[in-house]
Amino acid sequence: MPCMRNKVCVLGAGSTKYGKLNESVVELALDASKEAINSAGIAPKEIESGYISNVFGVSDKQVHMAPVIMSNLGIPYTPGLTIESACGSGSIMLREAYANVAAGFYDCVLAVGVEKITQVGTVQSTTLFSYCSDFFYEGGNGASFPGLFASIARAYLTRYKATEEDLAYVAVKNHENGILNPKAHVRKKITIEDVMQSPVVASPLKLYDCCPFSDGASALILCSEEFAKKKGKSYVEIIGSGRGASPAAVQSREDITTIPSTVNAARQAYEMAKITPRDVDFAEVHDCFTIAEVIDTEDLGFFKKGEAAEAIRSGATKRKGEIPINPSGGLKSKGHPIGATGVGQVVEVFEQFTGKAGDRTIHEAEIAVTHNFGATGASAAVHVFKKIK
Amino acid sequence: MSDPNQVMNRRSRFIEAASRGKILANKCVKCSHSTLETAYFCEKCSSDLSTTEEYDGLGKVVTFTIQSVAPEGFTDAGLYAWVVFRVDGAPFKVSGFLKDIHAPSDLPIGSKVQVTGFDEKHGLLLKRV
Repeated sequence: MPCMRNKVCVLGAGSTKYGKLNESVVELALDASKEAINSAGIAPKEIESGYISNVFGVSDKQVHMAPVIMSNLGIPYTPGLTIESACGSGSIMLREAYANVAAGFYDCVLAVGVEKITQVGTVQSTTLFSYCSDFFYEGGNGASFPGLFASIARAYLTRYKATEEDLAYVAVKNHENGILNPKAHVRKKITIEDVMQSPVVASPLKLYDCCPFSDGASALILCSEEFAKKKGKSYVEIIGSGRGASPAAVQSREDITTIPSTVNAARQAYEMAKITPRDVDFAEVHDCFTIAEVIDTEDLGFFKKGEAAEAIRSGATKRKGEIPINPSGGLKSKGHPIGATGVGQVVEVFEQFTGKAGDRTIHEAEIAVTHNFGATGASAAVHVFKKIK
Repeated sequence: MSDPNQVMNRRSRFIEAASRGKILANKCVKCSHSTLETAYFCEKCSSDLSTTEEYDGLGKVVTFTIQSVAPEGFTDAGLYAWVVFRVDGAPFKVSGFLKDIHAPSDLPIGSKVQVTGFDEKHGLLLKRV
C-alpha cells in the first residue's frame, strides 16, 4: 500500500446542470469551477494546480484546455493539465489530483471535469464514442458502445438467472432518484413497461437501458486536512483510492461478465480505507447502461456474482434499501458528460455529507464509494469517502 | 530501435491472413502461450520472442449484439451482428462483423462462424457455417 503524507479532503464542490446545454466547453468548466471555489470559501489564488478531465474538447474547438481555464479563473501562472481516459476521465483525473495533494506537492488544487458533445448529433456522438473502444477489433467491426455493453449483457443473461426485465429495474430506480436532482439531465419517471417497450438500440439493450449523451461540468476543491481545518467549513475526507485496468477489448477478457479494473480498484480502495463493502452506506457507480450497474454492484462486493439482478429487483439498491446505489440518478438519469461524470459522482457525495442533497439525502450515511470506468471498463477508479462531523 | 511502422505492419499481417479466412497469432517461444498477432509481448511471460501460427478462422459464438442503431460507416449495412467468438483450437477470442442477422434467434450462443475476409469498411467479415 502506498505511503501517503497528507490526508486529502474535498473542501468544495460545484456542478452545472447536465443535459443539452448552450455554453461552450470552456464556459461550462468555468461555471462549475466558480461554484466549487465559492463552495470551498477560497480565493482562486489559493489554488496551486489545476486538473482537468475532458475527452472530446476538439469537437468544441478547444484542446489544451487547462491553461485556458486557469487563465479565465484569473490564475494564468498556476499550472494545470488535462487528462483523458474515456468515460472514466473524471475519476482517473481525481486520482492524480488526490495523489499530488497526498504526496505533499500541493495543499490546494482544483479538479474539474467537463464535456460538450451534444452539438454534433447522435450519429456523430455514437461514432466519436466508438473511438474509445479498441477500435481495430470493436468500433471498426461495427460495435457501438451500446453494442459492446449489449454483448456483455447477453453474456450475463445467458450465464446467470437474470432477465431483461431485471435490467429495467435499474433504469426505473435511477430515474426515481434523478427526479429529485435539480441538475439531472432526464428528470422523468419511467415504468418497467416504458423500458421494455422502448426501441431496441443494440439487442438486448433498449433505449431506456442507455444513459443519454450529455453536456456538463463538475468541479471540486481538494486540499490537505490542515488546509481544510484552517478554513473552518464542512468537508469530506477521501480515505481510499484505487485504480485498475482490464484488457481494452471485450474479446480479450477471460470472463465477459466481470470487469477486472473495478475489482482491483475496489480492493485497493477498501484496503486503504480499512473497510469492507459492508461498511459502505451508499455508492455512486458507473451505470452507463443498466447491465453496467448490475455488474458494478457485484464487482464492488455489494452482492455475490450472479445475484445483483435479483437484489436490485427486490429494492435493495433504492434510496432506503440496504445499499443505496446512485442516489443522484446516476449516469442513466443525471446524465453522462463523460469528462465530468467521475467528478460529478463526488459532488453528489459532498452534497450528501454536507447537508445539501435535499430530498435524496441518505440519512445517517457516513461512508460512501464512487466508481467510474472508461470504455467497457478498460480503466477504472474507485474512491472511498468519509463524512467529517 | 523499434520500427515506427510496426503497428501498421502487424495489423497489415493480421488483415492479410483474415483476407484468406485465417486468424494470425504468435506463439511465445518461452512459455508457448498464443496471442493475437497484434500484441507485441506475451501477456503471460512478457517475452517478445515468438513464432507465427495461423488458425483456421472458425469458431463458436460466445456473445453478440445486433446493432439496430449503427455507428458511422455501418448505417448502410442493414441489420448486422457484432460477434465475439472463440477461435477453434486457440486460447483466445476474436470479434467481427456478421451481416443479415435480424433477431437473436438467428444466432444462438455456440453457433459456428467462419472468417470470410476483411474489408476497410466493415472490418473482420464473418459468415455462419
